[in-house]
Amino acid sequence: MPMKNRSKLSHEQQQHEQQAAGQETRQEKREFATTEELLRFEAAQTEVPPQVAERLKQSIANLAPPPRRPWWRNWFGQ
Amino acid sequence: MNDPAQGPELMERQPADWPSAEIGALYEEHSRAIYYLALRFLADPQKAEDATHDVFLKAFRKLDQFRHEASARTWLYRIAINHCQNLQQSWHNRHVTANSDDAIWEHSASRTDSPLRVLETKELGQRIQQTLDRLSDEYRLLLLLVADEELSYEQIAALVGQSTDAVRGKLHRARKNFALLFEQTA
Repeated sequence: MPMKNRSKLSHEQQQHEQQAAGQETRQEKREFATTEELLRFEAAQTEVPPQVAERLKQSIANLAPPPRRPWWRNWFGQ
Repeated sequence: MNDPAQGPELMERQPADWPSAEIGALYEEHSRAIYYLALRFLADPQKAEDATHDVFLKAFRKLDQFRHEASARTWLYRIAINHCQNLQQSWHNRHVTANSDDAIWEHSASRTDSPLRVLETKELGQRIQQTLDRLSDEYRLLLLLVADEELSYEQIAALVGQSTDAVRGKLHRARKNFALLFEQTA
């Protein structure tokens, strides 16, 4: 690749990277009007680690079935 | 495995790979909220994982006690709050004295109406945790509950065993304290 082209490509790449970095920075900057808004935002970003579900499935599988609700409690609404 | 018949809320979704369709549906719908409460209340990701697991396991064991008139979210929060508070007591993890919230409130300037400052999301979790750690368990819990849009003030009041008016008043102070302390973490 000729030197000039390489230099131009490098410059374009730099510009692209700077733009991307700028966008990323803008995306990371936020302002929250209330505490709830702040906490809601973070809660929405928070993922439950997948191993929790796997552990839970295993724990439930190892348990005996839960007691069934007696039919008469359903019947009488208790 | 046969599970007790539950209300329509539990029967809408039935994840296939769960030993119990009902608890699977509950987990899919509410695990994020429960995990987030545990994470920020206990301030420890590993403890939050354990707590989330234990809460849903308890829920599974108590499925037959689930009352149709109560929302699943509120029911799970009740189990989670009891569980986390028991853990807090057993671990002796209370770092904040009972009166610290009011001390912050009394000495606060009038800057708390300003929006919470622009910040980088990468630092968000750390700053939120630092701030919550400096609040009492009561204020921390109230803020975490009110942040859940699915909960009404009445439901929050029932969860913490206080009147709605008391909850509103405490939340007002908790928000102000949080905003002040949050700015200090910048």
